[in-house]
Amino acid sequence: MENSTQESHLRSDNSVTYESPYPLYAMALSSSSPARTRHHRIAVGSFIEEFSNRVDILSFDPETLALNSHPSLSFDHPYPPTKLMFQPSSLNKSSDLLASSGDYLRLWEVRDNSIEPISVFNNSKTSEFCAPLTSFDWNDIEPRRIGTSSIDTTCTIWDIDKGAVETQLIAHDKEVYDIAWGEARVFASVSADGSVRIFDLRDKEHSTIIYESPQPDTPLLRLAWNKQDLRYMATILMDSNKVVILDIRSPTMPVAELERHRASVNAIAWAPQSYRHICSAGDDSQALIWELPTVAGPNGIDPMSMYSAGSEINQLQWSAALPDWIAIAFSSKMQLLKV
Amino acid sequence: MNMATGLENQDGQPENLKKQLALAVRRIQWSYSIFWSISASQPGVLEWSDGYYNGDIKTRKTVQAVELNADQMGLQRSEQLRELYESLSAGEASPQSRRPSAALSPEDLSDAEWYYLVCMSFVFNIGQGLPGRTLANDKPIWLCNAHFADSKVFSRSLLAKSASIQTVVCFPFLGGVVELGVTELVMEDPDIIQQIKTSILEIPYPIVSRNANLCAANARNDLDHDPVETKSVPVLGSDELDMASPNDNSDGFEPIQLADDSLIIEGINGGASQVQSWQFMDDDEFSNCIPHSMDSSDCISQTLLNPEKPASGPKSEMVGDHQLQDLQDCNHTRLSALDLHSNDVHYQGVLSALLKSSHQLLLGPLFQNSHQESSFISWKKGGFVKCPKPRGEISQNLVKKVLFEVPRMHAACRLESPEDNGNRDGVWRPEADEIGMNHALSERRRREKLNKRFSILKSLVPSISKDDKISILDDAIEYLKVLERKVEELEYFRESTEIEPKTKRQPQDTTERTSDNYGNNKTSSGKKPLINKRKASDIDESEQGINYGVQEDGLADNVTVSMKNNSVTIEIMCSWREGVLLEIMDALSNLHLDSHSVQSSIIDGILSLTIKSKFKGSTLASARKIKQALQRFVGSC
Repeated sequence: MENSTQESHLRSDNSVTYESPYPLYAMALSSSSPARTRHHRIAVGSFIEEFSNRVDILSFDPETLALNSHPSLSFDHPYPPTKLMFQPSSLNKSSDLLASSGDYLRLWEVRDNSIEPISVFNNSKTSEFCAPLTSFDWNDIEPRRIGTSSIDTTCTIWDIDKGAVETQLIAHDKEVYDIAWGEARVFASVSADGSVRIFDLRDKEHSTIIYESPQPDTPLLRLAWNKQDLRYMATILMDSNKVVILDIRSPTMPVAELERHRASVNAIAWAPQSYRHICSAGDDSQALIWELPTVAGPNGIDPMSMYSAGSEINQLQWSAALPDWIAIAFSSKMQLLKV
Repeated sequence: MNMATGLENQDGQPENLKKQLALAVRRIQWSYSIFWSISASQPGVLEWSDGYYNGDIKTRKTVQAVELNADQMGLQRSEQLRELYESLSAGEASPQSRRPSAALSPEDLSDAEWYYLVCMSFVFNIGQGLPGRTLANDKPIWLCNAHFADSKVFSRSLLAKSASIQTVVCFPFLGGVVELGVTELVMEDPDIIQQIKTSILEIPYPIVSRNANLCAANARNDLDHDPVETKSVPVLGSDELDMASPNDNSDGFEPIQLADDSLIIEGINGGASQVQSWQFMDDDEFSNCIPHSMDSSDCISQTLLNPEKPASGPKSEMVGDHQLQDLQDCNHTRLSALDLHSNDVHYQGVLSALLKSSHQLLLGPLFQNSHQESSFISWKKGGFVKCPKPRGEISQNLVKKVLFEVPRMHAACRLESPEDNGNRDGVWRPEADEIGMNHALSERRRREKLNKRFSILKSLVPSISKDDKISILDDAIEYLKVLERKVEELEYFRESTEIEPKTKRQPQDTTERTSDNYGNNKTSSGKKPLINKRKASDIDESEQGINYGVQEDGLADNVTVSMKNNSVTIEIMCSWREGVLLEIMDALSNLHLDSHSVQSSIIDGILSLTIKSKFKGSTLASARKIKQALQRFVGSC
């Protein structure tokens, strides 16, 4: 069981491809720099429109470019996970913690040869019903905090050590689609109501709207906060080819709109170690790396570089643990691209 | 050794100058020397004229086998750096022909070399920057701790920091400025300047209207010392931001993560009302106010800045207000952090201008690109032909499904079996199953569904003896049989009333059911097919008929009362109306009947009621009395 690993077949000098038996959506790269091994873990979640879905853990060696799957490192998930994320900083334990969202926020412990479910977080005290989660973000400064976003217009902040809800906020007027931490107590969220709002846990009464989609109620689907420079965040709109770059100090006016995708954008990720670079991927099957200019020119901003995948890219991850690699997911493939 | 640039040629004696600089800088063992001279094409501006690099070298590429002495090597290196700079600058105009012949590439450079190279992109108005002020004042400037200097004083301080340049010295020389720098801290020493001056041979340079320049420069110089100068407005505005919200570290200069309290909402709000500093204008960039005073690299930043210009009007006004408050205590120390930032932006601007088309270069140091090639290729407008997404297809298909439909799947799943997941106890429950937890989960879900159905069945069937599933099923079977029988009875009864509508009712024995046709039913059972679905009108008709038929004794047959000892079973069928059940129960209570089991169902507007009760006290009402009492409510239907 231990060594029954399967090696991926498709590999070149600058990219590695993993082909899954099922379509993929959720994806996460382990953030811990592996002390014992050189292997980085990658979790991929299936997208099957049925109850039975699966999460597989792969390991990737950036030196040899070996990308292996481990049959023992795999588990069932009720319906497709809407997001997967590894614990931001693993305290050098032999295992990683993986969180998934869907009906509930769930924690899994990924060990060397097995995966154990650790906990299921259900906020609903009386009824069984706890509104399904669209996304979550793990606070990397305060790793006991996870914020979840839900279709019931709320965001819930969990203290996962205590297994208790720290707070629950009615964040928006409509479904909340994504959430991102800025620092230990500040997070932002995007919603079907078309707004980006910033919240501070120390002052739960107020939130700041820092952007609203130009057409009222055009849902905002994803949000990425620039961890290298917290002034900037990026969001994407429904049915739009734009990546909107926001400066939190100039609310309502985006500082830049990146409009070179030829179809709608599906995913965005800031470079983990450069505050001026961001990658976006979309239905045009392209992943584009952008360098934000000091000053925007009149004709918009051109991407710096591009990659064309085989079909619509649905997912994109750029991890601090593997800054030289961008992971994308399209159809049933997960691909690691050398930056 | 052919310096093929116009710059050197214009001086007439490039070789000499370079050698003199080399000699000077090597004598004192400093890192570099630069000669800034007044641009021939743009009077009033100091630009790079020549330089000699004497600092650390990262990679030495030997092209020729000939051994060079230190002299030659130094000169060659300086020359290669200049070549690299020019090839990079040329690359802006025509990215394809970038770096045609440069022996070095940016990856080969040490930090100090990179500093030296980027210096080539700088130009200074007279009176601005270290070289500009030196020329304007006609006095040497000795700058210690250059890497910590305010960028007002030394606009390249951030660059210097990265290259560990600590001491920079400028002195006027032959109508231009000689600048020297070293990575060590060297205290001011006029002798050194003197030493260098003498080591550089006096060569007649063309002095271009020096006096006029000096006048202008002095005027500018005054301006330079004025803290309210317009050019620093954006920077000061940002400083105001810092002052308004001391906790706000969001200027982003801190590369390390912020402390817990650093980014509070107030800070954000404070910042929100401020000038957005996506772009900071630097001293050097400010010089774009003077038309045509740029060299090629700054022309680029000028064009970049132009689109922003209309927008900067109102900003300046706003900042001007803050400026008034700030006049008294122009706090230079507080400025410094942001100045560094502005300088950083300038630096980034220089980088991006220089390396615009070559992301590899920029990503190289940033992303630790090793030997492997990138998967990404340079983006080109229309560089690819087809957009694989056919028109009309749903965009963001998967993302939308994840956000819009997956939650619905969960919701649907939960509505179907609200008890699923076993999280009844509320807040948080650790799950400690094995890996196959989800198999177990779905199995449990199925079982729970089954259990739920059983409990529904149990609630429908009267007189359940035990709670186990077998008993429930047995009782249900038994009950179904009873119901079947009852249906048959009723069917038969209906038929018989149709035949004999005026049949006289027999007085009933109290121990027997009061149903008149009880016996008759028995005889004719099994003949009539079961009628499962009856229309309300059918029943109404037949019941109406019954009522009319039994009008004589005032008792309808839709109420049956059977008694056994103390217990009374009452069966009622009547059309349902609001409150009827309550009235019936009240009536029974008045008759001192304690009801312990009530089963009711409403099908097509007909209420079927079975009540089991006991007499509470000693007063026993007769079955007939009960029937009569109930008839009042039932009969009125």
